[in-house]
Amino acid sequence: MITEVMEEIFRRWEERSQRPFWRMVRLFIARIFRGGGDSDAEGLDLGIGLVLTLLAMPGGFVSLLLLNKYGTFLQWLRGTTNVDPLLVVLPDEYFFIVLSMTVTGAVAVWRWDAIFPDRRDYMNLVPLPISTRSIFFANLVAVLFLVGLVAFDVNAVSSILFPMVVGATQSKFLFFAKFAVVHAVGVVLASIFAFFAVFSVLGLLMAVLPPRAFKRFSAYIRGIVVVYLVALLCTTVAVPDSLRRTKGPAPSWTFLMPSCWFLALCQSWRDRAGPVLRELSRLAVPGVAAVVVVALCAYAVGYQRHFVRIAEIADTTSTPSTPRTSRLGVLLDRLMLRTPFQRACFRFVFRTVFRSEAHRLVLTAIGGLSLVLVAQALMDAFESAKSWRQAMLSTDALSIPFIVCFLGIMSLRFVFEIPVDLRSNWIFQLLLDQDGEECEPLARKVILILVLPWLLAITFLVYLYTAGWFVACLHTLLVATWALLLTNIVLIRFRKLPFTCTLPVFKQHSFVTLISVCFGFLLYAVSTPEFESSALNYPLRMIGLVPVAAVAWYIPYHLAKSTINIERKLIFEESPVQTIQALRLSE
Amino acid sequence: MLEAVHLTKRYASLPAVQDLSFSMRPGQVLGCLGPNGSGKSTTVKMLTGLLQPTRGVVQFDGHNIQDNLEAYRKHLGYVPEEPNLYPYLTGWEYLELIGSLRGMAQPNLEAKINSLLELFSLHPQRHASIGSYSKGMRQRILLIAAIMDDPDIFIFDEPLSGLDVTSALIFKNLVQALGQQGKLVFYCSHVLEVVEKVCSDVLILRKGVVIAQDTVENIGQILGQSLENTFLHLVDDVDTMSVARDIVTVMKMKGA
Repeated sequence: MITEVMEEIFRRWEERSQRPFWRMVRLFIARIFRGGGDSDAEGLDLGIGLVLTLLAMPGGFVSLLLLNKYGTFLQWLRGTTNVDPLLVVLPDEYFFIVLSMTVTGAVAVWRWDAIFPDRRDYMNLVPLPISTRSIFFANLVAVLFLVGLVAFDVNAVSSILFPMVVGATQSKFLFFAKFAVVHAVGVVLASIFAFFAVFSVLGLLMAVLPPRAFKRFSAYIRGIVVVYLVALLCTTVAVPDSLRRTKGPAPSWTFLMPSCWFLALCQSWRDRAGPVLRELSRLAVPGVAAVVVVALCAYAVGYQRHFVRIAEIADTTSTPSTPRTSRLGVLLDRLMLRTPFQRACFRFVFRTVFRSEAHRLVLTAIGGLSLVLVAQALMDAFESAKSWRQAMLSTDALSIPFIVCFLGIMSLRFVFEIPVDLRSNWIFQLLLDQDGEECEPLARKVILILVLPWLLAITFLVYLYTAGWFVACLHTLLVATWALLLTNIVLIRFRKLPFTCTLPVFKQHSFVTLISVCFGFLLYAVSTPEFESSALNYPLRMIGLVPVAAVAWYIPYHLAKSTINIERKLIFEESPVQTIQALRLSE
Repeated sequence: MLEAVHLTKRYASLPAVQDLSFSMRPGQVLGCLGPNGSGKSTTVKMLTGLLQPTRGVVQFDGHNIQDNLEAYRKHLGYVPEEPNLYPYLTGWEYLELIGSLRGMAQPNLEAKINSLLELFSLHPQRHASIGSYSKGMRQRILLIAAIMDDPDIFIFDEPLSGLDVTSALIFKNLVQALGQQGKLVFYCSHVLEVVEKVCSDVLILRKGVVIAQDTVENIGQILGQSLENTFLHLVDDVDTMSVARDIVTVMKMKGA
C-alpha cells in the first residue's frame, strides 16, 4: 500500500518535473550553483555537495568549541556554578546570528551574477515558445529555493549542536527543544534577511541604474557589501557586551544593526530580554517582511529593465574611450620595468587586478578585513593614550602599516593563483620563454608597486607629523624592509605568470601553509610592532632585528639557489601531487 | 508566409535598420548579405521577436508576431551567431532541455535526439559537458536544437562558423532540403559562395538599408559577374587589392 502511494507520488513528481516551467526551475537552480555570467571561464566550481558542506561547517565547529564554555565539569573547575544558561548564552547567540548573516550574505554576493538570468539565458530561452513571465517566475522559484536551502544548510548543524551544548547542564528535554526552536527560528530569519538584503541591493541597483552603469558599479557595490559583512562579523566581540550594559532606551546604532534585532527576538522569546532588547525585538519580523517585499519589487523592475531588454542593450555599441598615456607608466618603464616581458606583463597583471571582478572581489574582502583590523588597532591605541604622540607610538598604532602590508602582500599573492580565463593564456604559452625566469621578479615588482608607495608615504607623513623625523624614518624603513622580506618569502619558487595558470591542487602541506600564514601574521604584525615600540625608546635595540632580517633574506635566497632547473620553468598548469611515482629507470 | 513590413530599428538616435521590407514564401531560402554593421543581426533579432522594431512589423501568416510571440516561436528554429550554451550541461541534457521547453513528447524527443546526435556525429560525446566541446561541436548542438521540433521557419545567423568541412557540406545540403520541404529559411552569412549555392534569393544590406533584393541569378546578372564581385561592387567602395598592399607595407615597417 505504502509502496504504491510512494510510486504514485514519484510518478506524479516525475511527470510534473518534466513540464517546461519546472525544467526551467531546475535549470536555474543548477545555474546558480554551477555557473553564471556570460563567459565559459573556469570559475571556482566546487560542486554543490562540497559547497553545502563548507557552508555548514563554521556553525558546527563553533558549537563544538563552546563545549569548553558550557561543559559542567569545566564550569565547576572554574568555580562558575548555578549560572542561568539563557542569560550566559547572549554573546554566543549573537555570534551565531552574525555568522548566519555573514555566510548567507557572502553566498548572495558570491552568486551575485548567477542569481539573475543573464544573456546566456536570454539567448537560449527567449527564442523558445516560452513567455518571459514564465522565465521570471521560474527564476524566482529557483531563488526562493536557494534561500531556503542556504538558510537551512548554514544553520542546521548549529541548531542541533548549540542547544545540545547549552542544554548539557539541564535535565529536561523541553529546555533543549524550546531552546533549539527559538535558536533555529532566530538564525534562519537572520539568514533570510541577509540574503534578501543583498538581493534588494542588487535589484534596486538594476532598477535604478542603466545596464552599462550597473555592470560598472556592480563590483564596487559587491565590495562594499563584503566590507559590511566582515565588519559585522567583527562586531561579535563588542556588541553583546555593550547591549548588556545599556540601560534605558535602545541606542540609535542598534536600530541600524539587524543582527541586534534577531538577538533581541531570541532573548524575548526566552523571556530574558531587558527593555532595550524588547524594543529591538519588535523590528525583527517586520524587518524581514520589508526586505523581502523590497527585494521582490526591485527584482521585478530590474528584470523588466535588464533581462527583457538584453537584445537591445547588447546591440548598442559603446562609445570608445580614448586611452590616456600615463606619465607614471613611462616612469615605471624607465626605472623598474626594464625588459619587454616586464613592461607587457606588468600592464597585463595590473589591468587584470583592477578589471577582473573575481580578483577585485577577493582583494576588496581582504581590504575590508584590514580596514576592520586597522580601526580596531586605532581604537585600542587611543583608548589609554594621553596624547597623540603616545597613541601613535603604542604597539597598536605601530602595528597598522604592518597589518595593511601583510594582508596586502598575502592577498595579492593569493589572487595571483586565481586564473582569469584559461582559454586566453595560449598567447603567453606561445610567446613566453619557458626558461626566462622573469615571473618572480615581475610578481615582486607588482606586489611592491601596488602595496608600498602609498603605504610608506602615509606612514612617513603621519609619523613625521606626530613623532618627528627620527621615528618617521626608522618606522618607515622597518615597514619597507619587512615588506621586501615578506614579498621574497611568499614568492619562493613562484614560476608562473599571474592569472594564467590553473588553480593549485590541494596538497598535503596546504594546512601547514595555512597555519604558517596565521603564525606569520602574529610574528609580522604583532611581535614586530611590540619589539619596535620598546626599541623606539632605545634605538640601539633595533639592531636586534638585523639577524631576523638576515635569516628572512637568506632562506628564500638559499632555496632559490638550490632549485633545480626543471623547477624553474614557467608553468601554465598545476599538476596534482602523485602519491606513488614511477622512476622509469629503464627509459 | 513571413513578411517584414517597413522595418526600422533605431538605437537611441542611431538607425540600425531603415525601412526594410521583404516577404518569404514557403520553400524559399533567402540569403542575407552585408558587411559588418550593415544591420543583419538586428534584422535577424527582429525576425525572431527578440527585438521590437521601432517602426514597422514582422508578420507571420498575416499576423503581427509581437501579438503572440509564444505561438510564433513554436514555428521557429533559430541558430544564433554565438554558440552561447550552458557549459555545465552535457550535449544530450541541453537538447533534452530544449525539447522539453518546446513541449515535445518525451519518447519521441529522446529518439529524435539520439538519431540527430548520431547523424551529426556527436553521439559518442553526448554525455560530455558542453564546456569541453569545440566551437564546431557547439554549433552542431545549436543546429540540432533548431531543427529537432520540425519548425516551419528557420533563421540561421552565420550557422557555418566553426563547422568542419563534412558538417558544413551536410548543412548546405540540409538547407536545400529544407527549402524543398516547403520550409522558410532566412540565411545570414558572410560566406558568399555558400549563399550563392544554397539560397534561392538574396537580400543585400548596407548601413541598414536594402540595396539589392532578387534571385541569386538576377543579382549576378546585374553586372554580369559572380555574386562576390556584384556584392563588392554594391557594398564596398574599398579597393581590396590596394588595402592588402598597404597592410603588407605596414607589416614591414620598422620601429622608429
